[in-house]
Formats: sequence, C-alpha cells, structure tokens
Amino acid sequence: MTISAALASSLAAGRSRLNARVAETRRRHPGFDAQVYADFVASAVDGLVQAVEAVAPERVHAAAISACELALELVAQNLVGPAARQPWMDRLWRELAPRHARLLAAQPQAVLGALGNAVIQLGQWPQVRVDAWLDGMAALADEVQDPAQLRVLGQLLAWRAGMAHYRRGALAAADALPAKLALQALGAGAEADWPALRAALLADPWHGADDLPATGVQIGAFSGFGGQFAQPPQLRVGDDDFLVRSADRHFLLLGDRYGAVLLPASADEFAAASTREVSAPEARGDALGWPQGSIRAFANVHTLALASPYTHAIALFPRG
Amino acid sequence: MSGFKLFQRVSRAPTNPRAVPAATREFDVASLYEGPLSTGDEGDAAALPLDEKLRQAYFWIVNNAVISPHYDIEYNEGAAATFAVGDSRRTLTLPSAQSYSSFILLPLLTFATRRKCLFVGGPGRGKTASAILMGVLAGYPVKEVRRAMQHGHPQMTLADLLGNPLPADLASAQSMDDIRIAWRSWLGMRVKIIDEYNRIPTRTQSALLTVMGDNYAEMLNHVYECPESAWYLTANDDQGGGTYQVIEALRDRIDVIVQALSFNPRFLDELLLRVESGVRPEEMMPPEIIFSAEDIDAAGKQILAVSVPEALRRRLEFFSSQFELMETAGSQFEYMTKDTARLSGEDWHQFTAADNGRDRLKDLGCQTRNGLSVRNLMTLLVFAKAMAWFRGNAEVELEDLRQILPFVLHDKLQPDPDAPFFALPEHAAFRSDRLGWLRHLFDLSNAEYDRLDLDRDDPVGELSAQFAAGLDGLDEREVRKRLSKIEHLVEQRAAGRKLYGPLYDDLLKLKYLHQRYTNYLNWLRASR
Repeated sequence: MTISAALASSLAAGRSRLNARVAETRRRHPGFDAQVYADFVASAVDGLVQAVEAVAPERVHAAAISACELALELVAQNLVGPAARQPWMDRLWRELAPRHARLLAAQPQAVLGALGNAVIQLGQWPQVRVDAWLDGMAALADEVQDPAQLRVLGQLLAWRAGMAHYRRGALAAADALPAKLALQALGAGAEADWPALRAALLADPWHGADDLPATGVQIGAFSGFGGQFAQPPQLRVGDDDFLVRSADRHFLLLGDRYGAVLLPASADEFAAASTREVSAPEARGDALGWPQGSIRAFANVHTLALASPYTHAIALFPRG
Repeated sequence: MSGFKLFQRVSRAPTNPRAVPAATREFDVASLYEGPLSTGDEGDAAALPLDEKLRQAYFWIVNNAVISPHYDIEYNEGAAATFAVGDSRRTLTLPSAQSYSSFILLPLLTFATRRKCLFVGGPGRGKTASAILMGVLAGYPVKEVRRAMQHGHPQMTLADLLGNPLPADLASAQSMDDIRIAWRSWLGMRVKIIDEYNRIPTRTQSALLTVMGDNYAEMLNHVYECPESAWYLTANDDQGGGTYQVIEALRDRIDVIVQALSFNPRFLDELLLRVESGVRPEEMMPPEIIFSAEDIDAAGKQILAVSVPEALRRRLEFFSSQFELMETAGSQFEYMTKDTARLSGEDWHQFTAADNGRDRLKDLGCQTRNGLSVRNLMTLLVFAKAMAWFRGNAEVELEDLRQILPFVLHDKLQPDPDAPFFALPEHAAFRSDRLGWLRHLFDLSNAEYDRLDLDRDDPVGELSAQFAAGLDGLDEREVRKRLSKIEHLVEQRAAGRKLYGPLYDDLLKLKYLHQRYTNYLNWLRASR
C-alpha cells in the first residue's frame, strides 16, 4: 500500500519516536496487531494527513504524529480494523475527520481525541444513532469555526441522536454557538427564532414531535437478545422521568422526541416512585400491537409510558 | 505535542461507579468527550475527591506496578459463586463486588491514615518495592525515597539511624547545647521506610521506638520533632527469625501487617515483558495520583468523619469482650484477666488446666492468650473507617470491619495453640493462617451475637443508654429504681454460673453504673 509523500516525510522525521511508541504499546498490549496498525496508518491516517496538507501544509508533521499516536491506542484497544468492537471509529477517521482539516491542523490531538471519545461514548448506548451523529457532524463541518464550537455541536447532535439525558445540558451549551448553526443542528429553518426554540425545547421534551411514528419512542429488549431487561419491565413515575424494575435491576428512564435512555437506579428510588397508573389510550395500544387488556400506562407531566407483561419494550409518547 | 504515556495513565472513569440518586443526578454533556483517547488537555486531578484519587492510585498500582495481585479482601453484592476445592474442600470465592488486594490496599490505607504498616513475606516478593511506591505517592523523587530508606543490619548504630553530632562542635562545645546535630534526612519525610527492621540491634530498636511511638528523635539532649508520617517496615520473617528479637513495644506500635503472597507463574509473560523493557513502575507514577501533605491531611480528616453505626459498634464491643477474661487468674472480680496471668509470670498451662468449668471449645476467649488493648481497638476503628472511606461510603459497614480486622489484629491477638479449638482437624489450617483464623473468630462472634439477639435484646445496653442521657433532674426514687434494676439484672446474669467474656464485661459495666448511681444518690442525700 502506498502512502502520500507528506505522510512518508512525517513518518521518516518521527521514526525513532514512533518506533518507541509502537514498542511500548506492544509491551503494554500483547495482542497489538502491527499489521492492522500499518493498514490503518496507510489508509485512514494518510487521508487525514492529505486533508491537512491541503489547508495547512506547515502543520502536516504535527497532525501526522498525533494521528499516528492516537491510532496506536485505537488499534491496541480494538477500536479500528477488521476486529473492531465498534464500526464507527473507522468511519470517523475516514469520513468525518478529514472534513475538519482546518481544526485538525490547529489542534490535532484535541480534535481527534474528542471526536474519538465521543464516538466511543455514543457507541456504548444501544439505542443511540451513531451514524446519524456522524452524518450531522459531517454535514455541518463547514460551519464550524473552532474546536469549542465543534464540541458544542457534537453535544447538541448527541442529544438529537438519542442521548435524552443530554437535553438540558446540550441546549444550555448551544447558546455558545452562532444561532444559525444551532438552528441547523436541530433541523430548524434559518427563519426560526433560536431563543424561542430553545425555550420551547427546554419546556417540553416533545416539542415539535409531529413526525413521531405511531409506535412512539421505544426502548428495552430481552437481555437474552442483547437488551437490558431479563423480565418484562415494571414502571413507576418520577418527576421528569420513570423508574423501571426488571428482575433485580433498576433503571431511570428518560425520553423525548429524539429517543430514550436507561440509566442505573437503585431499588430505593424505585420503591419511592409513584405507582399511580393512568388509562391507556386504545389507539396507542393498537399501533403497538400489544394485547389491549395487558397494557399498563403511566404518565408524568410531559410523557406517557406504556408497558405490558407480554413485551420487554417500553413505549413513550408525548402526553396529551 | 503531548507525550505518549502508556504507563502513566490513570482511570478516567469512576473507579467505584454507583447509581446516583435521581434527586442529585446531573447529566454533564462534557462527559461526551471523556474516554480512553487523550485530548492533550486532561483536567487537573486536584479537583478529584480524595477517596477517588486514592482509588485511582490503587488501580494504577494494581494495573501497572504489581504483576499478580491476589484479591483477598472480598466484597459481595448478592450471591457470589463459590467452589469447594481439593481434599480439604477449601472454598474458592469469585466475589460479586469490587474486591481488593490487601498487599496494595492496606499500605494505601496506612498512607491515608498515616499509620504504620509491616510487610512480611519471603525475599523478592515486592515488599520493599511496594514501600517505595508509597514514598513516591507522597511526592518524593524515587532517588530520594531510596536514599532515605533505612536498611536494618546488625551493626546499625544510633548515629546511622538518627544522625551525628557535628565533629567540630564536639571538640569545641562547652555544653551539650553547643553541639549541633546533623539529623538524618529521613526523619523529616512524610513516608518513612525501614527495610528488614528485625535485623536492627536491640539498642537501636529502642531509639526507633521513640521515633515511631512519640514522633521525635533525641540525641545529646537535642530533640528533632518529626512530621506526621506513614511508616512502612519490612521483615522476611515476622515470627522472630530476624537477626535480633524485635522488642515487644516496637511490634505493638505496628498498626497493620500485610503478607506478600507468592507470585503466580501464570503471569510470567508479564514479568518477562517487565524484564525486557526495563520498566520501573515507581519511576512512572502519574502526577495525578501524587498526594501533597495537604491532601493527606484532608484525607485523614475525611476518614475520621466516617461514622460507625451503633449496631456495628456493639458487635465490636461483643467481639473484644470475648478475650480478656481468665477466671482462674484472679480472686478479685476485676483481676480475672489474662493480663493478670501474664504479669504473674506463672506458667500459662497452669491457668488453662485449672479452667475446667466452661465449654472451652465454644468459648472464643479460650482460643487466645491475651485480650485486645485500647490501642488495638483505636487502630481497628481508624482502619475500618479508612476502608469505608476508600469504598466511597460515609458509614462503616460490617463487612469493612470484617475485612480489615485480621490485618490489624494479626500480631496483636495471640492464639493459644493448645486450645481445644485448634486440635480439631477442620481447624488445623488456622494454626498457620492467622488472617483466616481471625476472620473466622469474628464470624463466630457475630454468629453468637445474632443467636443472643443482642441487636434487639440488650438490657445492659439499654441501661447504659439511660445513664448516658444524664443524671440531671433525677430524683431519689428514680435512682433507687434504677439501682434495683441493675441489682436484679446482675442477679439474673450471675444465676447461670458459667462466666464468659461478654458476660464478665457486662457485669463490670453494671458495677460501674451501680457505682455512679450510688455516688449520685449519696450526693442527693447530702445536698438536701
């Protein structure tokens, strides 16, 4: 596999340093696959280096060395290559990162490290749409002016990708973005009023959820099939959330128009939560295809949650 | 461009993750960018809570410095998988919660509480290396820690240990005050290491005792006040196999004893890598886990603030009550103790042979030759608090006490190998496994505590609580009522004829209460 002259030059200049790093990584990670590393450098790292060379040739060496060192960690931890634990890191390096060549040229380690950690974080949540996050970050790459904006944009898009617990934090952070970029990140038109939209989204997690599918936002599956629940979940109601029990495990359930997440909770929290049920809307049950008599419905201020002893899933809808 | 520091990384994820109560949950969007990849702007670890920082230090040592840690401090959440192994059917447990290696954890708790820890075990098992790590953890350069380490040897003098009077002053001084002392630098360090302390001559041990016990050194009428420090001592053989017999007072100053366990050859590949790469963990300790003097001060305060619930304190009282009684040693009630027997110089076996009234198998006190001192109990409480703090708890749990107790009492509670308990084939291993025996002893004590239902039925405890509420405003009638109640309880307790440790202490406590009420009654009458 051939590599670009820019990468070849950087590798030659940083040869002793990189060789030492590779040797160190081999000692630390006996399973380190040098061939996977070589392939990754020749393809993904080279692509990045070429992108940086196009915008800031004087920064090629710094970017190349940082990228090579981070790539060592990625290969050592099986985050890239044929046996990668997640499919998205390769995509990040090959498709998204080159789009941010200017930021990479300025702060290669900060940008690559932050984006890489974000992909790892998002990939740990089964219901989060990591591909949608990568698409969004790539689509708005030209609008991002500096690494700080990149980080905030990533947070906002992480919420849109399904990290429901980020809603408040991401909306607060988004004030640091130009209004145009914040509106674009949320899929709103340029004519929309950012402060008004932000206030509406903070007030109601389901604001603008007109295109929600009839089956609502669903979360949870049988643990035997890789889900979170060993038994059909039982629900209780919190202030802005729900408490869930399945077998001997307890969760906090948060949901909004973009998705839902399950976080760890304690038995005490579940016991303290309200058991008050509401009547289950028949249309929702029909859409879900769950036996009507079995559906149990719970509601907090904004959200209706439906569960049934015949399924391991929980369906969330805006209340109203 | 930041460096690439594989061996200097500490955990960025919480080392002891727990479900956060909903009321206090804050979802920090910045966590999106936390992960294994370095961004070059990793935050300042000074903001970390100190217990988290110590846990990070623990895990850094486990993952980078010690090749084959043994998880002998076991915690469980729910059922743990257990297996009976070998002809002896010993239990192998796979703990269901975060468990720890005593060889690393105990020195760290010693570090945080600034106590004294003795490493025992054969040569080449990492005792000295672990002690050096503790010195580096306190922020000293490796070279300084190595140079300050005192190596015990048969010719070690007071001057070797403490310092020298300046020769010029010796020649010209008109009084002792004129002689300046060049104190050894290790005396001023916050981590003190004495290697092979059982090779130090007895006279020098006495000087060491003063430094360890009273925290100052004295030479030619000059005194050097040492800072509060954590002590680490090593010995290849703690059972008297050193060059010199360790004086008892010095042994008694040691707070915890940890044993360096054997190397598991299954980890030979990692050892080989260590040899080939020439990596020295103590030279690669990440700065994030270094503790300043202020950090250690603050950690000590936090540890002391950890609470010991009353129910747990009662169990410890019950346990420590088991051991001091020696009915045959004294004619007066207060002197029926093992200490009386020991001070008399009489043959131990004469006392045990005369003690034929009790079930010597059931009585836990019969398993030991001594009782627990106040210092032992204080140390036990401090380390139990430190253990709870290290686990991120504000309150000591029974399991904290159970896990820490054997390491504190290792050298303090002396077993009586002639006791019937040790003659049973199933208890043979307890003759050599002091830690296992002590933990078993605590378990037996707890089982007895539960059998007696003392959590719910403890009349002596109720009377103590009643007294602790104060005497102000009590009239004569009420005092007489209480005195009568105490006398009735003593009569009731004494009716059983057999005297066991907890009953002995209960009776002494009732006597104390009776005396206090009697004095109060006399005062009431006199003040009329």
